Amino acid sequence: MVKTMLRKDFAEKVLRFGESKGLKDMEIFYDSSRELSIKSYQGKIDNFSVSNSEGVSFRALHNNKMGYAYTEKVDDSSIPFLVEEAMQNAAIIDSDDNENIYIGVDEYKKIDNYNLDLDQVTEEQKIQLALDLENEASCLDERIQSIQYCVYGDVAGETNIVNSKGLSLSSKSNIAFAYVGVVAKNGDDIKTGMAYKATNDFLKINPKEIAREAVEEAISMLGAESVQSGNYPIILRNNAACDLLESFSDVFSAENVQKDLSLLKAKIGQTIACSDLNIIDNPHMKDGFASNPFDGEGYPTQIKKVVENGILKTYLHNLKTSEKDGVSSTGNASRSSYKSTIGISPSNFFIENGTYTMEDMVKSIDKGLLLIELQGLHSGLNSVSGDFSLSCYGYLIEKGKISKPVNQITVSGNFFKMIKNIEMIGNDLKFGLPAGSYFGAPSLKINELSIAGK
Amino acid sequence: MLRKDVIENILDAALSTGGDFSEIFVEDKTNTGISMIGGKVEHTVSGRDYGIGIRIFDGFFSVYAYTNSVNEKDLIETAKKAATAIRKMKQKNTQDFNNQMMGQLVNPIEIYPGTVSKSRKVDIMKRAYNAANTYDNIITQVTVNYLDSHQKILVANSEGICKEDSRVRTRLAIQSVASLNGEMQSGYFGPGSGKGFEFFENLDVEWYGKEASRIAKTMIFAEYSPSGKMPVVIDNGFGGVIFHEACGHGLEATSVAKGNSVFAGKLGQQVASSLVTAVDDGTIPNGWGSSNIDDEGNDTARNILIESGILRNYMIDKLNGRRMSMEATGSTRRQSYRFAPTSRMTNTFITNGKSSKEEIISNTEQGLYAKYMGGGSVNPATGEFNFSVMEGYKIENGKITSPLRGATLIGTGIDVLGKIDMVGNNLELGQGMCGSVSGSIPANVGQPIIRVSEIIVGGRNGEDNA
Repeated sequence: MVKTMLRKDFAEKVLRFGESKGLKDMEIFYDSSRELSIKSYQGKIDNFSVSNSEGVSFRALHNNKMGYAYTEKVDDSSIPFLVEEAMQNAAIIDSDDNENIYIGVDEYKKIDNYNLDLDQVTEEQKIQLALDLENEASCLDERIQSIQYCVYGDVAGETNIVNSKGLSLSSKSNIAFAYVGVVAKNGDDIKTGMAYKATNDFLKINPKEIAREAVEEAISMLGAESVQSGNYPIILRNNAACDLLESFSDVFSAENVQKDLSLLKAKIGQTIACSDLNIIDNPHMKDGFASNPFDGEGYPTQIKKVVENGILKTYLHNLKTSEKDGVSSTGNASRSSYKSTIGISPSNFFIENGTYTMEDMVKSIDKGLLLIELQGLHSGLNSVSGDFSLSCYGYLIEKGKISKPVNQITVSGNFFKMIKNIEMIGNDLKFGLPAGSYFGAPSLKINELSIAGK
Repeated sequence: MLRKDVIENILDAALSTGGDFSEIFVEDKTNTGISMIGGKVEHTVSGRDYGIGIRIFDGFFSVYAYTNSVNEKDLIETAKKAATAIRKMKQKNTQDFNNQMMGQLVNPIEIYPGTVSKSRKVDIMKRAYNAANTYDNIITQVTVNYLDSHQKILVANSEGICKEDSRVRTRLAIQSVASLNGEMQSGYFGPGSGKGFEFFENLDVEWYGKEASRIAKTMIFAEYSPSGKMPVVIDNGFGGVIFHEACGHGLEATSVAKGNSVFAGKLGQQVASSLVTAVDDGTIPNGWGSSNIDDEGNDTARNILIESGILRNYMIDKLNGRRMSMEATGSTRRQSYRFAPTSRMTNTFITNGKSSKEEIISNTEQGLYAKYMGGGSVNPATGEFNFSVMEGYKIENGKITSPLRGATLIGTGIDVLGKIDMVGNNLELGQGMCGSVSGSIPANVGQPIIRVSEIIVGGRNGEDNA
């Protein structure tokens, strides 16, 4: 609390200095966090990390252009740096788009993302959890040769926006997570598996469950082989479907649409996906790690269907892009950190559950593949073209049953075509690891994707 | 950056609970980033990263703490808080700092980017934009990003090391998009260096702009790559990403020390074709991955990793070196004070062989020619890697023929290294950002043109419904 007061004081000083330089529209964005991580290795804690960190961003309109500057050295000596750098940066902007400081609304939705109980968990309990997780994972199966990593961590953060139009907003959140990576070995055959849990309720982290999931995954892949190249019906397991959605989520950004970098340009109101597909952006979701009453510009967030029954309903907007399109902001202005400018990103963004079980989907396939993991997502896909070609692994499905593990294959296709060719939507919606935005998807059956193997 | 007595007090406080080694890393870094879309400057940010990381060892156990605080009291408190993770009696004191010797200078800087006006930086970007945009009517969008940074660091430890370093990095990244009949394809080029602003002044900016557009245009007319096992010829420069992924990560002590690498325990053994000699060299003058000292305060070095196919060494940091009973290799790196440092690649490449490019292509009956590579990733425990081909071509009857898009190469490290059957003589380096446990750091990859006799190419098959 003391720190927050000090920072409010700092913000006031920056605004006053800005005024003295002739600036009128200004904003301070302040972010602070406290982190802990504990790693277990061979029955002992082998790494312990703690941190306290903060950063301040300043942005201001100078000759109608928005300039930005930031610092992690939060003291009076940085005030002239922030203001003068922001003014110099504004001077070279030649975009015609209008970026403004937002005045705010009277009431924001109340969202509680901070679990006070997590603060009460002792270091001993956290250490024990990391040790238990590693121990469970080591003992479950004799083919587990080693533990690649075993980590418990938690983060508590606070974000503040203070601007010259009188807006002063603050939000706090915390989260705890645990993950383990295991190595299974059978003769010369080595396979890995990993599993995680993220929650702000410490009691919901069950080391046995996480360990079992990681171990089962690694063991199930032992003996995997490649398959014949060809086009196959494909089930993307929920986590894999989620990874693809996340990697292509940029195409829904109005900024990318306006800059001719998204193939969804001029597609509002048109069918872009199979008629059962709904994609939701829900910043008010309970237990949603990207839940927030306001976005990166202080604009109130709102729940919306981005895709409804396969029809594109809206892009994701911030103030700048919405003004350009003559619509209202969707409250998706993002500030990935104080180091970044205002961009656009989803909040809790997910494909809505369908009606099919995994069993239904597997049964429907005579010869195909269930893919449980996609790799190389940062390089093997292109959100501009929609093309992807990714290393992956999973299981072969024969005559409606999972028959054997498969690896050393790639799956390729085009995102925009793929979402039209979804045949079944699962009922097993699962969210990935939170990182700013929080993505989720159920398992999806696609009529056909191209597999390269033998 | 910090007074000597303050540093000593912090290092000493860190040892107060029985640790056997303590280290402090101070970072003060200024960054400028400018992005231009469609020829107009859209965003500019400049800022200052500032923080301090404290590391303590007790045998194999390590503690890391960081903070942005600038005052001595907070820093001592952070060191003490970190030390509470070790619960012993104090056993070691900080040694006096050695008289600081001026070390090697591998990255001399002519023009510090902080002294150059922002409009001159924008001028460079406009040149790149204009060259890319006017290349062909099919080009519908061009994005140019400019980056410069100046990182000043101090690293001091309880064994008497106290050193400072200054690292300037400069980079220009150009992305061109070509559109035709409702389809879009992109091309990219991102030259970078460890030089000052002189890097941009001496750079053939127009060539890079045109090249990004040429790739985008070529790819929009390309057909999808076929799939299956085939010979693949990978050209020089960023093509070296194959070694980076297939082998480099598996040679980092981060994976080796705990046996989580397919290369663990294989020193002195044949791990690659005898045509392959590979080096990690942090001392290349003004290289994208070079620095005068590493982030533990050791001089950077040229380390031979593989010599004529035989595994000679790993990249080793101090902590993992304890587990492995081996010396650190001067290649311990971190993104910033927010990360504990560990063994990482600097500038890593396969050295020149004897074949010419013409020889290699004409000796390949059928296959894939990868002119430019995209990025990739690896699982060090299994050695399974994947990487994407940005611009590919068919090889038919010993000649490069039509362009191919959407190819991904997959395989396992030791298998593909053994199948390198021709190595060219046109070594070049290419710049990338490498992400791993100690964050995202600039790293050069590199190689001359090479041929792999057989590798799985993931493309598309037959009728395109997908």
